[in-house]
Amino acid sequence: MMSRGRLASRLALALMVLGAVVMVYPYAYMVGSSIKSRREFAEDKAGIVPPRYQLGERLRHWRGEASALDWPGADWSAGRNYADAVRFGDIDRYLANSFIYATIITAVQLCLNVLAAYAFARMRFCGRELLFMLLLATMMIPPAVLLIPNFLVIRSLGLVDTVWGVILPGFAGAFGIFLLRQAFLNIPEDLEAAARIDGCGSLGILWHVILPLSKPALVTLGLFVFMGAWNMFEWPLVVLSNQDFYPLTVGLSLFRSQTGADWPRVFAASVMGALPLIAAFLLAQRYLVGGISLSGMK
Amino acid sequence: MPRHRLLRTLTPYLYIAPAFAVTATFGLVSMGISLWASFQHYDTYAGASGFVGLDNYRRALTGDDSYFWLAMRHTVVYVLLSVAGVLATALPLAMLCRRARYQSLFRTLYFLPSITPGVVLALVFYHIFGIWGQLLDSAWTALPALALLGVWAAAGYNMVIFLAGLTDIPRFLYDAAEVDGAGRWQQFRHVTVPMLRNTLVFVTVMTIIGSFQVFTSVYIMTSGGPERSTEVIAYTIFLNAFGVAGQMGYASALAWLLFAAIFVFVVIQMRVFRSRRVYDE
Repeated sequence: MMSRGRLASRLALALMVLGAVVMVYPYAYMVGSSIKSRREFAEDKAGIVPPRYQLGERLRHWRGEASALDWPGADWSAGRNYADAVRFGDIDRYLANSFIYATIITAVQLCLNVLAAYAFARMRFCGRELLFMLLLATMMIPPAVLLIPNFLVIRSLGLVDTVWGVILPGFAGAFGIFLLRQAFLNIPEDLEAAARIDGCGSLGILWHVILPLSKPALVTLGLFVFMGAWNMFEWPLVVLSNQDFYPLTVGLSLFRSQTGADWPRVFAASVMGALPLIAAFLLAQRYLVGGISLSGMK
Repeated sequence: MPRHRLLRTLTPYLYIAPAFAVTATFGLVSMGISLWASFQHYDTYAGASGFVGLDNYRRALTGDDSYFWLAMRHTVVYVLLSVAGVLATALPLAMLCRRARYQSLFRTLYFLPSITPGVVLALVFYHIFGIWGQLLDSAWTALPALALLGVWAAAGYNMVIFLAGLTDIPRFLYDAAEVDGAGRWQQFRHVTVPMLRNTLVFVTVMTIIGSFQVFTSVYIMTSGGPERSTEVIAYTIFLNAFGVAGQMGYASALAWLLFAAIFVFVVIQMRVFRSRRVYDE
């Protein structure tokens, strides 16, 4: 007989697996539907495995009975919808745009946030507390409230429908400054004193001492900013009208309304939109897990 | 050397200036503009055409053509469903995850929705809810369906936060409770929940703030329908400011009312948690 503790952990595992199925099912559905032919999607909306790959249909076909393999599009290759999404939906361009926006925003925001966070963490100057409070105050404002006024600011700068209009508001963030300041404060000041004796200026200290010691915080923030930039939807939707500048999110929404009933293509485009971030997350995950809890523990 | 000294005094400001300029422009200045616009008759294309005092607010709160209360009702229902759903899933999941093997694998799988664009999730669930009996076609089920998507997407992220909170609870508290004869439920009720108070507050506040602003799933999946049953406040603001209406002044007033609503909810929530502060320290 199993002990109570082991039984409990078995039960926990079983429930977690059940939950994992619930979590993964939409992804399986998305990938499965993305390789269906149009006819297959129309006939079998709910299934994950396209009929032409299902064992039962294969068997029926082999026995000479009518099966999914007689439908038009039975020779549909798995990559066909992906190629079509690129060819007819410009998904490759949207992906490139998203990548450019997210990369620039992440790079600039890390630089500006690091500089500000270092000053707030280590330097003494007049008005430090006031400026920091003002900064924190901007964290309390819900983005939905900022949508209209930010648009008005961008418009008064003449940046509507430009790349700059999309990325400029993302160039710095109070949350990032706050997070990095906390990380910098945890670094012992003696290390800096040693570097200063060796003739380092404050930029040198920042580069040679502070940054190498705050890698987890930098990776975490970088990934968070990148994810936020990759996922932003309402802002580019409002700022842009030229389709050439659309990021993936807005492009997907447009592609969906353009293609009408051709859902497998939209699913293929969705898979392409979801993959890059998942890959980036898996790569950076080692550093991230501690980082998430960092952001959670105020 | 005075020049050197001047440079040293200026350095901190130079470090802060770029980041502060951006956040101040798109945070503080923006708020000022928004407040100003909410007192104007402001057409999206023609610009401001005159101070109208509180007319925009009056129109939103009492006007015959106002959808503010309708949208606010839907938003509050969505928020309550989301908060209840997130608390009911994320905390139990975190407690299970701690007991189960392969913890890091589960963490990754449950975290997937947090790193998937909301547009993608909305497109996929548009079909999944269709398969489950046209949930989005009925005015009764559409809003709960959207909340279900919100909870599904947020559960994993909040589970990770609860996991961090659970790890911080010292083991000896449970041992002490066991010595005192507390059962599983009593340990949960009298050790876990009080010790998780800060995490609970954090998760609830973040869920309230986030779900009050729900937009993407509404825009992609229902466009506010059927029969306006999923028209939420962020969508109303968007329609009024950037849709056919083009009434930015009115939309700005709506945005401030949304801000006020979030504020009220967060304050109420803090009160609720404070009143239960029996076990602290």
